[in-house]
This record gives sequence, structure tokens and C-alpha cells, in this order.
Amino acid sequence: MTDVRVSETDPFESAVPERDGRRPGNPGPAGGSFGTADWLKWAWRQLTSMRIALVLLFLLALGSVPGSMLPQEGTDPAGVQQYFTSHPALAPLLNHLGLFDVFGAPWFAAIYLLLFASLVGCVVPRTFRLAGSARTLPPRAPRNLARLPASAGYATAVSPAQAAEVAARVLSSHGFRLRRPAPTVLAEPTVLAEPTVLAEPTGAPDSGSGSGPGELEGHWVSAEKGYLREVGNLLFHLALLGVLVSVALGGLFGYKADRLLVQGTSFADTQTDLDEFYPGRLVTAADLPPFTVTLNTFEASYISSGAQRGQPNSFDAQISYTASSGGPVRTDRLEVNRPLSVDGAKVYLIGHGYAPEFKVTDARGQVVFDGAQPFISGTTGNFLSQGVLKVSGAQPEQLGFSGVFVPTAVDVDGTLESVFPAADNPVVSLIAYAGNLGMNSGPSQSVYQMDTTGMKQLTAAPQLLRVGQSLKLPDGQGTVTFTGYQQWVSLAITHDPGQLPALICGMAALGGLLLSFVVRRRRVFVRASTSPEGTTVHVGGLARTDASGSFEDEFASLAAELRSAHQQAAQDQGVPPSAPAAPNRHEGE
Amino acid sequence: MPVNLALGHVSNDFLIAALVIYSLSVVAFAGDFAFGRPRRAGASGRVPQERAAALAAVGAAAVGGVVGADPALAAGSAGVLAPDGVQTPADDQVPGAGGGSGGTDSMPELAVPALRAIREAGAWVRAGVALSGVGVAAHIVAVVTRGLAVHRAPWGNMYEFVTALTCVAAIFFLFVMIRYRAWSLGVFVMGAVVLALGLAETLIYTAAGQLVPALQSYWLDIHVTAMTLATGIFFVAAALGAVYLIVDRYARRVAAGRAEPGNGIVRRLPTTEQLDRLTYRTIVFGFPVWTFGVIAGAIWADQAWGRYWGWDPVETWAFITWVLYAAFLHARATAGWRGRRAHYIQLLGFTSLMFNILVVQVFVTGLHSYAGVS
Repeated sequence: MTDVRVSETDPFESAVPERDGRRPGNPGPAGGSFGTADWLKWAWRQLTSMRIALVLLFLLALGSVPGSMLPQEGTDPAGVQQYFTSHPALAPLLNHLGLFDVFGAPWFAAIYLLLFASLVGCVVPRTFRLAGSARTLPPRAPRNLARLPASAGYATAVSPAQAAEVAARVLSSHGFRLRRPAPTVLAEPTVLAEPTVLAEPTGAPDSGSGSGPGELEGHWVSAEKGYLREVGNLLFHLALLGVLVSVALGGLFGYKADRLLVQGTSFADTQTDLDEFYPGRLVTAADLPPFTVTLNTFEASYISSGAQRGQPNSFDAQISYTASSGGPVRTDRLEVNRPLSVDGAKVYLIGHGYAPEFKVTDARGQVVFDGAQPFISGTTGNFLSQGVLKVSGAQPEQLGFSGVFVPTAVDVDGTLESVFPAADNPVVSLIAYAGNLGMNSGPSQSVYQMDTTGMKQLTAAPQLLRVGQSLKLPDGQGTVTFTGYQQWVSLAITHDPGQLPALICGMAALGGLLLSFVVRRRRVFVRASTSPEGTTVHVGGLARTDASGSFEDEFASLAAELRSAHQQAAQDQGVPPSAPAAPNRHEGE
Repeated sequence: MPVNLALGHVSNDFLIAALVIYSLSVVAFAGDFAFGRPRRAGASGRVPQERAAALAAVGAAAVGGVVGADPALAAGSAGVLAPDGVQTPADDQVPGAGGGSGGTDSMPELAVPALRAIREAGAWVRAGVALSGVGVAAHIVAVVTRGLAVHRAPWGNMYEFVTALTCVAAIFFLFVMIRYRAWSLGVFVMGAVVLALGLAETLIYTAAGQLVPALQSYWLDIHVTAMTLATGIFFVAAALGAVYLIVDRYARRVAAGRAEPGNGIVRRLPTTEQLDRLTYRTIVFGFPVWTFGVIAGAIWADQAWGRYWGWDPVETWAFITWVLYAAFLHARATAGWRGRRAHYIQLLGFTSLMFNILVVQVFVTGLHSYAGVS
């Protein structure tokens, strides 16, 4: 992501006008008559200036901070609720500023959209410029090559014209783009052998701009290489745009859903059968592929000894599923890091827990509930799980139980604690209520919470039950039996069409980044002139200043190759290769 | 597979040994400052000017083809340039092809082979480099044995992550120091390594153990390895940036007449120009690795959690870090932001990286809560 906007001291791009708004020559809004078009132009120039891009980058970083420090609607809605209760004065204000949904807030979108607008405003002209620079020639060879960062010199027996010719051939074979003196000003016009060699066109735009008469004399070659650097840089920035588009694609056409599934039960991927459904903006429930999934067994194993006792070792969910188009029932295994792909959606194992099984009879002696009720555990406490059981069919009064499930129960000073996450000594502790559950009126209730305002508590203290034990409710209200437990898993079902494009764009960005960091833009110049020893060849080169890696090594091997090519040419002509090589220093300079 | 406890102990012992040897190397590098042979860190201050002049000349060629056309300019420049300044004798292998300006980084000693340069740098530097090398070897053994003991990549929790990233930083810096003959930086970077490793050893030591199922994936090897590498590289860049700010501050104080020129410590340090270039290269190396690490993390998140990006706190801070280092790279190409300000930005980036590791992963609830720190 380097040198997006060109610095003024960059010798490779100094022909390009500086893109900074604060340049002295840049007319600002203060100066004289300034129309709407001028204002727009000025604003656009500001936006696409590097300074504003830097400021926007900072704002993007700064704006992300509250998204990680405050609970967010998308990832932690319960945390947001809790924040509202614990900070009743502050929370509405923060909510007004969108700080509970930072990454969906308009101001955050404004930052990144402005940044991308700035990026487009910078990248598009640079793409044209790159296309243009592929057609223009490298600059003429400077007169004094010894003043370049890398230089070399030696004598050769071939004529200057031939030396330049040989040099052009060598440099061209290394993929350099070449520029040679215009044939018209040469004493003996050189016929160019290489089709890739670009002779300077007569009347080139820069030929009259201050070139002294001495400039056009002599035999020289200018060579330039490394345009891929700019290509990589542009690719990187365009790929970032692609990532943004991919994310938007996912937001429009993707969906996400959650489903808690108790061992031995099934669900279909339809809106009514899902716990939560978060469709993309252009997705409806009709777009869901209604495949079905059954959880056959779930096993969690834990480390049983040592310092890591209680830490999970592996999770393994055995499932069977049927694609929505029908077909055979297939079985598969769901693990963390191993989702199931079905009908273009993916099913993930996200969490797990316990569902104690109860059998409830009411005052009439009828069985009004017989099944598993999922309980929820926090992140700590070895799966000490809480939940409620609402028996709305009980007569004459509805029954409700709020309970705690303890997988491996140990009595610590009168309170129950779970000392291990596996169900080695499962116990439930229940408080029974009778009355109106309030399920027929008001907003829909969570299955994990119970409104006890319309109910009376039947048992004073929580009642402990082991598997198989029953609790007789007072006044013949019925009985509840803790018959056993099942495990449940929570599944996430997602579909994101932007996923593959995002991956491709991400890899393209990385590739472009590497290209722009590894490739150097560099120029090599060769001048051959007549000297007392015959012909002296001067080679000079420079690479973009902030390039990584060592240009010197490449230059040294190029210079050595040029030199041996000249020696070879001299030998082919029958001139003895006895011309003493001048050392690196140039005599007489 | 159960943890090999004996091998785990071997790893611990080697890590302690590495810590002790690193500390001794810091002492040796500090000794070089105090008692070492005076070295000429100058001579290079002139080179950038020369290069700038040459670059400007050829850059001008890009505009109008005027290079060499102005004899007065050429003569003027020749007068400024010391006649013996730029070119050094050619390498033995490549007669006639000069390296020019004493190597890419204008470090005058660069023409000398590495081993000879170490020999000639004085007893303190010799000791410092040798101790750093031995320390790195012990450190590598410690990391490898830890990996063998737990049968996985040895960066599965915070403690392992810090030991691995300091190992990367030490290896990388050893390379940079020898490559660029930057002996005077040893006390700063190896000092920072000792500090980080010592804090890890005393504050967040975690015994060799197994990983939770969420981490049992080959993406741990890919994602966390990339993050470890990048963090180790950025670690070196941050130390270099801090040295840059020290040298730069001193230079400005001298310019303002508030400090005596010729400070003995600063004179031994590389110039701001050299430090800036070295830092830039370090970050250019680290930034793609970090980018790859973020992408690999996104792929893993997609495998494990069903989305490739979900603004989990740790993801958010990895993004902030990425943006800040990108801002550094842009700042270097922006007039008025080069130099000091750019280095403040990269140090801010490193701060956000450290904040992510030390604060967000430990104290902020999210999906990345694997620090294993209690």
C-alpha cells in the first residue's frame, strides 16, 4: 500500500503533478471568483489528496475502537441489554450515536465510503497514467553516469556505435524497455536489430525542451524496467474495492440463522423451524433451502486430570441430513472447525449444553409434559445451567418450574457447585410455581425465562432431585420427575455468496502488495564514447529510492554481463581483448 | 495425545538459558557503547545528499530531458561532491562493476564481508553478537521442544505466543544487525526482547498443555504462525522506530541550540536516514505477512464460526493495526508526514498490536479468548 500518491521527490514520477491540495500553486477556495464547479473540483482534489486519505485511514482506525470496547448488537445483543440496565443514563446517548452497532452505523459507512472514493479518485487516474507510461519512452541517458547511485566504467575495443548496439541487445534481453538516440542526429544511423527496441521518434515531445546541442551527441541507451510494481500497487487497491463489494454482496444476498437442537430431534431449514433468522436485505424466507438435519448423538470429552482438568478435548456431533430436493438420508459428523455443506448453506457446530428431561403430571394425574428442556449455561461454572419449564397444559392451574442443572454436583458449604463439565453426578434443583404463565397475552416469551408475577411459589426452598427422583407438589398439584438428561447443540446456518469473491479479492490484494513491494522500478543507462584507449563504456543505474532489496547486486551483474558482451563482440571482430579494463573509477572525471 | 512433561521441562530450561544469554548480550552491547572502540557512524550523512542530487538529475530527465545539458549544474554538483566519496573499489568477483555509494544503505562498513566486519567491530560487539547467536539457538531449541512436547505448533496460548514472537524478533534482528552492520542497535532491540521474554516468563507462564477443540485445526499453524512472524518483525520495527525518534529528537535539539552536538551515544547510532530506511524495509517485510495472517484468520473464522469477518474484538484490533501500518506506508509518501510523524504512526500501530494481545485477548470477551492467562 506504499506510495499510492506520488511524492514530489520521486524521480520516476516527477512529471506527474503533485496531488496535494496544499500545494502553493493550487488555487484554494479563498482565491477570487469561485464557482460551484470550482468548488467541486477543489473538494474532489482535497478528497483524493494523500493527506485526506491519511486522515480517513486514522478515522477508520479510531472509529473501529468503540466497536471493540462496547457490546455490539451484531455479536453480543445480550451485552447491549445489560449495558442499558447498568448505564441507564449513558446507554441511550451511545445508542443514538450508533455506538452499539458501529460497523453498521452511517458515520462509519461515511468514513469507509469516503476512503474508497478517495482511493478510486487516486487509482483510476494512475491506471491511465500507467497505461500511458507503457507507451512513453524512458528518459535520455544523462551525460555523467558516474553521478548516479550505481555506476561502472570500462574500456572496450569495439566502436562506440557498436558498443551501444551490443548494450541495447543485452538490456533488451533482460526485458528492459529501451530508448536510443534519434537516428537523424546520429553520425552513422544504427539499424536496430531488436524489434522491441524503441527508437526515439523524431520530434518527440521533450526533444526541444532545453536540451543543449551536446545532449544529442554520442551513443547511448536508456533502459527502464519494473512497471509491474505499479501494476501490483494498483491491483492491491482495486482488490480492496473488490473486498468491499464482496462484503456488500454477502449483506444483500446472504443469510444467517441459529437453531438449538436437542439430541434425538430434527429441524428443517425453514423460518418457522429456526430459532433466529437474519436474512440479507434481498433475501426472504422463501429463499431458504429447506433441508433437514437430525442430531443423532453428541459427545463432548474433557481432560479429566491435571492443571487443565475440565477443559474440553473434543466435540463430536453425529448427524443425519436430507437435502431439500429430497434424496437419500446421509450421515455425517459435525465438529468445531468442520462444518457441513448442504444446499449451498453451511451448518456449524457453535455450542452445546444440557437439556434435563422431566415428566410432569398435573392435579388430575394426567401426564402433561414428558421431554427434554434445554438449559443454558454461562461461560464459566462447568456447565452449571439454568432454565425454566413451562407446563401450560396443566390443570386446573398452569405449572412452571425454574431450575438449575448441575452436571457434576458437589455441595460446597451448602451451595451446589459443578466441579466438572461432564454429567458425572447430575442433579437438578427446582422451584415450582402455579398460576398463570401469561403466555396467551403480551409479547412472546423466551423459552429460557418465566414471568412469575401471576404465579405463586409452591416450594419455599429449591428442591434437589437426582435422576429418577420425583417432587410431589403441595396440595396435590401434581408431581415432577427428573427422568434423565439429553445434550443439545447450537447450530449456525449461513449462506454468504460474497465469501468466494472476498477470498479471491483478498488473495489478489496480497499478490498485488507483494508485487509492489518486491518489484523495483529501475533505470539503466549506457554511454559509449571515444577515448584514448579506444572506446570507453559508462554504465549507470538507479532504482526507486524506497525500493526494498538491493539494486546494487542486480546492477553489478548487469554491468558485468555488458562488459563480457562487449569483450565477446570485440573478439568476434578479431580485435584482441587486451584493452586494459579501467577500474571502477573513471579517469579524468 | 498426552503432553510430554519431560520435554516440556527441557523447553523451560532452554528458555531460561536463552533469557540469561540474551541479557548478557545486552550487557555486551551496552559495554560497546561505554568502552568500545570509537566507530565512525558519520561519512554516511553526506551520501544521501549526493544521491539526492543524482536522483534529482535523472528525475529531471523524466521531465524534460535536460540532464547533463546544464554544464553549470553538473560542475556545481561535482564541486559539492567529494571526489573520493561515492565509489568504493569494486567487488573481487565483479571487476569493473561498482556497488556505488557503499551499498544500498549507505552504511560505510557494508563492503566488508560480514564475519570480518564482526571481527573488526571490537571485542564488545564480538561478544554481543556471539551471545545473541547462542541465545537465539537456545531460544529456537526451547520453542521446538515445546512444540514436540505438546504435539502441535507451540503458539496456542499467550505465553507460547510471546515466546515464539520474541524468537522471531531475535532471529530477524540478528539477521538485520549482521546484514547492515548495525551493532549499535543491539542494546535496544535485544533489550526489548529480554524485557518481553522476561515479562512473559514471570507474568503469564503457562505450563505445556492441550488445546480446546476450537484451536485444533491446521489453521492454527497457518494463521497464528503468520501473526507470530509479523508481530516479531513489527517488534523489531518498533524498536528501530524508537531509536529513530531518539536520534531525530537529538538532531532537532542540536539544531535548535538546546543540546551540544557530538553526543557520544547518538554518534554511534545510525543516522535518521539509515534508521528510517531500515524501519521501512522491516515494515514492508512485515505488512504482507500480517495481511496474509488476517486473511488466513478470516478463512479459519469462516470454518469455525460460520463467517469470515464478524468484528470480534480481536478481529477489530487486527484491522486497526493493519490500517495504522498502511497509514505508515502512505505517510512516508506524503509531504509533511515523512520521518518523525510516520514513525509515530508505526509506533501507534505497534501499540495497537500489543493492546490487542495484552488487553483485548485477556480482558475483553470475544471469540478469541484463548490467552490461557488466569
